[in-house]
Amino acid sequence: MAVILVVEDDALIRMVAEMMIQDWGHETLSAGDEAEALAILRSPQRIDAMFTDIYLKSSVLGGCDLAHQAIALRPQLRVLYTMGNFLTDKMKALFVVGAQCLGKPYSQQQLQDSVVEMLAT
Amino acid sequence: MPDSEISAGDIVETVPSALIILDQNLIIKSANRAFYQTFRTSPQETEGSLIYNLGNRQWDIPALRNLLESVIPHRASVEGFEVEHDFPTIGRRTMLVNARKILRGGDHDGYILLAIEDVSEERAARAESKRYWQLTQSIVDTIRDPLVVLENDMTIVTASKAFLTIFGITQAETKGRRVSELLQHQWDVPALRHLMEKVLPENKPIESFEIEDVFPGLGRRVFNLNARKISQPGNHAHRMLLVFEDVTDRKQRERDAITLTNEISHRIKNNLQIIVGLIAYESRWTAAPCVQGYQAMQTRIGAIAQLYDLISQSSRGRTVAVDAYLKEIAKTMSASLLGNASGIKIEVKAEPLEIDPERAVPFGLLVNELATNAIKHAFPGGTGNVVLSVEQSGDEIELCVSDNGVGIQGKDPDSKKAPEKRGCDYVAIFVRQLGGTIVPSVVEEAGTTVRVRLPLLLIPSGAEPLAA
Repeated sequence: MAVILVVEDDALIRMVAEMMIQDWGHETLSAGDEAEALAILRSPQRIDAMFTDIYLKSSVLGGCDLAHQAIALRPQLRVLYTMGNFLTDKMKALFVVGAQCLGKPYSQQQLQDSVVEMLAT
Repeated sequence: MPDSEISAGDIVETVPSALIILDQNLIIKSANRAFYQTFRTSPQETEGSLIYNLGNRQWDIPALRNLLESVIPHRASVEGFEVEHDFPTIGRRTMLVNARKILRGGDHDGYILLAIEDVSEERAARAESKRYWQLTQSIVDTIRDPLVVLENDMTIVTASKAFLTIFGITQAETKGRRVSELLQHQWDVPALRHLMEKVLPENKPIESFEIEDVFPGLGRRVFNLNARKISQPGNHAHRMLLVFEDVTDRKQRERDAITLTNEISHRIKNNLQIIVGLIAYESRWTAAPCVQGYQAMQTRIGAIAQLYDLISQSSRGRTVAVDAYLKEIAKTMSASLLGNASGIKIEVKAEPLEIDPERAVPFGLLVNELATNAIKHAFPGGTGNVVLSVEQSGDEIELCVSDNGVGIQGKDPDSKKAPEKRGCDYVAIFVRQLGGTIVPSVVEEAGTTVRVRLPLLLIPSGAEPLAA
């Protein structure tokens, strides 16, 4: 089972996402913004993957910046993005290599499929 | 005239310029055909008379007197002496006079050969050209957008007052230089240079080439550059007009609008995510038979959100282009339901029709429902085609979703229902909402086709102004 860091500035969405992920037997870590996420990423804590919102309160493309910093800290980390806005090619170009984006609103099934796919890579 | 000059006289006759030969007393000895034609006179009236007396003294011109009486006596030849005069017979003319003294052996006085060329038209064209460029300059100066006029070699002929004022440079600093050399080389962009090189030779205008940069004294600005060839009738020289349209404010408004749209979209999607999350949460404690319903609900909420995205992508002002919209739906379904490796392909055949955005959501949900049914039930083997088509038929439009799958005889129990009855009657709900009717399905050998007739929720393309 994996340890997945969930970065989402909306507490309710984050809670439900974590709950879904835990239902499949994974462990979750929780961050509401970039700073919290980076603090966890810099800790010795085991983290296999990060599921982050792109549109964070601190910055419109905050999740993209965060993912690059996260990969710099932990090159093996797998990343799954989520976002409510229409995904443009310009945004895709900012993604870390191999990462996918799950559009909001995502169903339980869609999140599960995406998480399985991410962890399989 | 001596015999030895007869052959020279023949040559003189063939010269297109008007020629006259005067003696030392300025008496006309002879003239050529071109002279008689140009000045509408004859040898009888001309030969033997004093040049000034010719044709009602029309040649008694102070400038000519000056040439013949003051200049010629001291020089062997005079070239390019210009005489502008109102000739009674031919009107106002500009004549270019070349004079040469012809001296014979032992004779100190000799003759004077005058070659008179009518350059009126050339001079008029030159004056016209000058007036034209003065006019151009005055137009250039009255246009509020900064602009420059460029020579064939891309150097600046003139810059408008607005250009000089806005960019804080002088006319002298621009003249003869290339646009790319000005200021801090903000216009030195290879793509722009490439386009500018095509304006004159290929008569290919530049439309709205955008440059964003920091300009001294102006800060960050966005300019749209427009260029076109300018030429005047009868003049082979072409020049280029390069206009700099400051679109900084407009650009900022567009960016603000995009930011706002993104913010709204972010909030709406987050709210929908909360609803989907709550449904997911609820389903944890729900009895198994209902879980499927909860899951389907999550998927439909997702579909509505996706349709909003697709509408914003296919929207042209107040309407949504149906072909683009269907293609986006097909693309999204292929990605979410089928995956890249799927053997099921979704094809779109749509006429160029526009749809009211208000109805685009139920329309999209209807397409979504019918196509999902086809994908779920028609292809137990995992391969086949689904075709989404829309065409106008009189004052109605027909939406048709067809597949080449197992058809109504298929083994899937759900597919034994009439195709439009599958999917919890959602199809019927959306059709009713759109005020349409389902065309009863015909049992086919293979495949299934659902036809839905809808009233004029679609407007033929171009029927009304679409700009927002």
